[in-house]
Amino acid sequence: MQLTQNKNISHALLAASCTLLGVTPVAQAAGNSEDGWKIDTALLLYSEQDRVSAVESVIAASKDFGDQHIFSGKLVIDTLTGSSASGAVPQDKVQTFTRPSGNGQYQIEANTLPLDDTFHDTRVQLNAQWTQPVMENTRVSSGVHFSKEYDYLSLAVNASLARDFNNKNTTVSAGFSYANDTIDPEGGRPVGFSGMVINQGQFSSEDAYKNAFDLTRQDGSDTKSTLDLMFGLTQTINRRMIMQLNYGFSKVDGYLTDPFKVLSVVDQSGTSVNTLYENRPDNRTKHNIFVQGKYAFDSGVADVSYRFATDDWDIDSHTVDSKFRFNLSDNSYLQPHVRFYQQSAANFYQPFLTQADPLPAFATADYRLGEMTAFTLGLKYGMTLESGNELAFRVEYYQQNPKNNGTPLPGQLQQQDLFPSVKALMAQVSYSF
Amino acid sequence: MQQPFVLEHKTGHICGRFYAMASPCELLIDTDDMLVAQQLVALAYQETKRIEQKFSRYLPDNIVHQINSAEGNPVAIDDETFKLLSFADTCYQISQGMFDITSGVLRKAWRFDGSDKLPDDSLVQDLMPFIGWQKIHFDQHQLRMPKGYELDFGGIGKEYAVDKVAQVCLQAQPTISILINFGGDIQITRARDGQQPWVIGIENPLNQDKAVKTLSLYHGGMATSGDSRRYLLKNGERYSHILNPHTGYPVKNAPRSVTVIAEHCIQAGLLATLALLQGEQAEAFLKQQQVQHWCMR
Repeated sequence: MQLTQNKNISHALLAASCTLLGVTPVAQAAGNSEDGWKIDTALLLYSEQDRVSAVESVIAASKDFGDQHIFSGKLVIDTLTGSSASGAVPQDKVQTFTRPSGNGQYQIEANTLPLDDTFHDTRVQLNAQWTQPVMENTRVSSGVHFSKEYDYLSLAVNASLARDFNNKNTTVSAGFSYANDTIDPEGGRPVGFSGMVINQGQFSSEDAYKNAFDLTRQDGSDTKSTLDLMFGLTQTINRRMIMQLNYGFSKVDGYLTDPFKVLSVVDQSGTSVNTLYENRPDNRTKHNIFVQGKYAFDSGVADVSYRFATDDWDIDSHTVDSKFRFNLSDNSYLQPHVRFYQQSAANFYQPFLTQADPLPAFATADYRLGEMTAFTLGLKYGMTLESGNELAFRVEYYQQNPKNNGTPLPGQLQQQDLFPSVKALMAQVSYSF
Repeated sequence: MQQPFVLEHKTGHICGRFYAMASPCELLIDTDDMLVAQQLVALAYQETKRIEQKFSRYLPDNIVHQINSAEGNPVAIDDETFKLLSFADTCYQISQGMFDITSGVLRKAWRFDGSDKLPDDSLVQDLMPFIGWQKIHFDQHQLRMPKGYELDFGGIGKEYAVDKVAQVCLQAQPTISILINFGGDIQITRARDGQQPWVIGIENPLNQDKAVKTLSLYHGGMATSGDSRRYLLKNGERYSHILNPHTGYPVKNAPRSVTVIAEHCIQAGLLATLALLQGEQAEAFLKQQQVQHWCMR
């Protein structure tokens, strides 16, 4: 038989097989073991009230090349715009600050928390991961990560080994990742605790201002390295339940200061007399323990996890996360999400510096390193389309509630809200095919 | 009486095994209920033996034996036999005569025992007049075949049994996923819960002692045709057991083994066999059919 006449043999055989077996042919071809690429796409909108908003698009692709040789890759592009708290305290009069680049100023109205509005950036992230079995019941996985922002470059490698025991009911894994980040902010990195130079007409020329500003800056870029070690244990309890226990260790060395954050120096009346750039230690060691349980009901899945993290900056945190998936039908589900988070303040966190006290070795007023609680409430609706592709919608409300870590507030600061809540809304659409 | 099959708990499923149709037969059942598994394997065993006894050319007093010994007289056939003959007819038509269930008569000349003993050409030529599906006349009730001809369902019997067993199992337990594997001819009754695949090992026909390759299957069927043990080797030339009914000689340059994935096991099996019959063009043929496949040469 000639090949040109062969084209419909497969279909003719399908029809003949169905006649022989007395069944109706299924229109869809048998997608099977080594399916083509599986693609996940998602678009996320994140908006904090009066602050940062972000648009994030994700495209992830994975392919099983057979024998559990799996490649997965991910591209994330996000665009951030808006303002973030600079660390300075609100005052009863208008305040003027120099932009982080040194080019220009911004003013903050009276009784308003200072937000730095120059915050906008585009970040591109790329991940690639390869996983394959190495011997019976053992898999290795390794990957690379690349992330680039305007003033930030991160490169990372990772590798892990997982081995199944006990008829695959127990999986033990160990892994590491190593990242090297380079930070090169526009205008240079501030000298720790140097005073913000604000041009209020005291300079004879623009050059004189520029010289004064440059004295508060360090040349060139700086780096940060992060080593993570992870150990995991996954145990199948029964047909419906699976438990996971992870321990993570993380060691960060290098430039850990946020070049955009400052502290106000206040006098006895709570009036700001100076603004200093923050200064953080150049290393941090973290430990975390994570426990997760998943239980499959007849009509859904419950997923509850708890994480405890502690570090040598004295930030201890607790996270409880729970998701409950309710299957509405064979091809749609509803998934509420509740997350609660609590952390203690870093030992060098203080909402401001006082003129009377000597400078500490390190200090930050970044509320993200202060005492706080946060919660997330979310709802996701997912459905499987007739084509077999999946479409899901997710909305979440997120609120951070920073707290005073016991610092007495002098004078006018008692009338100010130094710890306002940050409220954010997230909406996501995702599609997998 | 001792059961003709064995059952064994595996991780997340139960495996049932028996031996039939000259092949190891295996059922992987997505349940941990031993009683359910036992009923299914018993059903599967029963159905397999029924088909083997009905269509094996090696057994006396079955329909194939009646047809092959009718000496030109008409033989009454039942509906199942009619359907199998119709299927064989379709295969003959679409392969332009390359797939012919009357060509089994050639085994009188060819013995594929791994040796170098090629048959005398005269022996092959003597058999050629007894090959030709177009000489067989049948309808829903009877079949008439010239004297000296032989029918052989060997090329489709095992795949057919796999599909029939899958049907019987699906009817008995419509919500349980069951994988039926008769020596590499495979059918899954329905997808497993939670998008979990069935992971099976397939042997490398080129090196049977070596560890198998594993494959994840979600649904549908799979079949392998090949000549791992059945071949002749003379003067360095390998003669596969796939015979060309037009010449009476083995197809040249056929892959040693072809594995195809399709909706139904029997459909996959025929695609694999038709690919082997293409010889050198096996891969091109399979590519054209747009089916998932592996060829080993």
